[in-house]
Amino acid sequence: MAKRGIDFMGKRNIFFAVSGALVVIAVAALLIRGVTLGIEFQGGTVMTLAGAEGIGTEEVRDALKTADVMDAENAVIQPTDDGGFIVRTAESDTAAAQQAFSTILDELGLPDQDVNVTTIGPGWGQNVTNAAVLALVVSLIAILAYVSLRFEYKMSVTAVLALFHDALIVVGIYALFGREITPNTVAAVLTILGYSLYDTIVVFHRIRENSAGLTKRSFMDMTNDSINEMLMRWVNTGLVQIVPVIALLLFGGETLRDFAFAMAVGLIAGAYSSIGLASPLYAVWKEREPKFQALKKRHEAQQAAR
Amino acid sequence: MESKTRNLIALAVIAVLAAISFWQAWPPAEKITQGLDLKGGLSVILTARPLSGGTLTEDTVQRVENILVERVNGFGVSEATVQRQGQTAFLIQLPGVDNAQEALKLLGEPGKLEFVDLASITDTATADLIVKQIEAERSEESTSTLPKLDSTKYAAFMTGEVITDAQVTTDDYGAYAVSVSMDDSGKTVWGEKTTELAPTQGQVVIVLDGYAKSAPAVQTPILDGDTLISGTFTVDEAKGLAAVLQSGAMPAEIVIDESRVVGPTLGQDSLNKGLLAGLIGLAFVAMFMALYYRGLGIVSWVSLGLYGIIFGGVLAILSALNIFSMTLPGVAGIILTIGVAADTSILIFERLKEEVEGGKTYRSAAKSGVRHAIATSIDADVVTLVSALALWFFAIGPVKGFAFTLILGIIIDLVVAILFTGPVVRMLAEGPMMKTPALFGMKGGGQRG
Repeated sequence: MAKRGIDFMGKRNIFFAVSGALVVIAVAALLIRGVTLGIEFQGGTVMTLAGAEGIGTEEVRDALKTADVMDAENAVIQPTDDGGFIVRTAESDTAAAQQAFSTILDELGLPDQDVNVTTIGPGWGQNVTNAAVLALVVSLIAILAYVSLRFEYKMSVTAVLALFHDALIVVGIYALFGREITPNTVAAVLTILGYSLYDTIVVFHRIRENSAGLTKRSFMDMTNDSINEMLMRWVNTGLVQIVPVIALLLFGGETLRDFAFAMAVGLIAGAYSSIGLASPLYAVWKEREPKFQALKKRHEAQQAAR
Repeated sequence: MESKTRNLIALAVIAVLAAISFWQAWPPAEKITQGLDLKGGLSVILTARPLSGGTLTEDTVQRVENILVERVNGFGVSEATVQRQGQTAFLIQLPGVDNAQEALKLLGEPGKLEFVDLASITDTATADLIVKQIEAERSEESTSTLPKLDSTKYAAFMTGEVITDAQVTTDDYGAYAVSVSMDDSGKTVWGEKTTELAPTQGQVVIVLDGYAKSAPAVQTPILDGDTLISGTFTVDEAKGLAAVLQSGAMPAEIVIDESRVVGPTLGQDSLNKGLLAGLIGLAFVAMFMALYYRGLGIVSWVSLGLYGIIFGGVLAILSALNIFSMTLPGVAGIILTIGVAADTSILIFERLKEEVEGGKTYRSAAKSGVRHAIATSIDADVVTLVSALALWFFAIGPVKGFAFTLILGIIIDLVVAILFTGPVVRMLAEGPMMKTPALFGMKGGGQRG
């Protein structure tokens, strides 16, 4: 069978280098800049102020101080597109936060408006974090088990390696841009793991199908052909997956943007890693098996003789 | 012939499913319950912690739940819910509550309910304060501006634990009143006290957490505990008093872990933005599918449409059963499954094209293409499902809603693929696709036959 399409496997070292570099940048960003955890993880209050055109962040901060908000000095005051503010403070007492909201409205002379105040108690953040970590660990174990049973353990290990790669890149980009990590981010990351895996499994499915009775080409070539066979699907699926996410990012409003950002980064990383990382890693690993080693030698000899 | 029958049966089943779904879900704004972050209101997560020195048994937590339910009902908002989350946490949702501060205070209150003989209070300042507090209570002013009663200045003869029930009712003259019943120990104490107070029509002050709420005068001795508190109550006052009496003593410390107050227009605004984003995303996906896959792209439109309708139907049924309410993260989950749904069609179409190019007839290409593509899709879906399930089981708070819609999306996607996309592709392959391959984005490589 003639080889066709793009030689992905031949360029695998480039892919590995790119992935390696991205992971190093992500880890460096994490170590140097660290991540900003949302109030959901540490307790605090987020409130939204609307109709604040012409008011500066310092005035908002003064109002926070007047309202006696805990640690007002370090509150994060972020202007929104529609002339309002999102204010994050360390205040973790619900009643105090509600009280502060009305004081701030008075203080800044803002119009009467819908209240949008979220307060998280200090102990809850730990709960949320624990739950998220538990969800992550359980889903990884379940994925490893399922893929090992349905396919083989080498696939599950390389697939999970690709997952770590994707998750690290997303978290690294959060660190790099100083974006706040919220439970929504965690949900998005977990979903990306699902999607990235989805992509990887689709390719692995084809590799497994093609590897039955493999004699005419080396494992590496077969993997390459498998990727090429799935290429149009990969491109098209990537497009239909990223388009709704980008729509969400552009038009989804403040809250949904949180999801969309992590999803967008993760989808790109996930799509890339299924072809650029999981598949070549798997092929390299498989090709070390004596059976495929022999096949490779025979194949090379045939080509040399031709 | 036989496969034709099977295809038709599949299509009939999905048509029925879609019809039921449409009937259930239309109009979606009414049929699908909206969560508080969309509708506006107060959403609180509370945790019960043991009182100092005590432990928290399942029994205690159960009682806390009952008390919370009663207090929440006492607010008189429709569709208010109390949901147990995990071992000791509760999610309380109060749609459209405008006085969040008051509601939060009431929910978290330890609920120390005391009955005090007014005549036993000797301190005049305390007696004055009681009068002021009750006035404030009745004029619906906030009582929080007044100080609490000094607990050393009065002694309760009975506490709220004896109250078994308190309901709003009407008295013989049709005026609003509150009926109260008590357990046996309450009956004895209450019987003695009312016998003592009845001749002078002495007043019993009902004190909740240091605030006097009411001070009814005893008219007759009450030996069976069944008490009717009447007065010139408005319905709201009666409800409020019943809620106070129902709350009894909270057997645990209540900590507010999370509170979200969302104004109604803000929530709708976010929903509209989310829906707009979803529609724009959907329009682009649909356009792309039609441009790239031509006739098959139109098939995927119908697949996506069916997917949407059935999704709506399932959500409406779950809403009616009171186990689902749509949250903003849920909307995000649905928008993201558009990609998953479209991908299943793409997998089928690509496989079909590939097999046709490989020299198979349309008919056999469609058969094996659909089978292989759906097998791939199932494997890939299962792993996604696993991570969504883990998210749903273990995550708390808003993320749960996101995971839930994701799970539903994956399952419904498979149903549509098996019952609609697959059969239609197989049926098209029998005729139209052979005659006009270009209409279906095919290069026409397939042989006839």
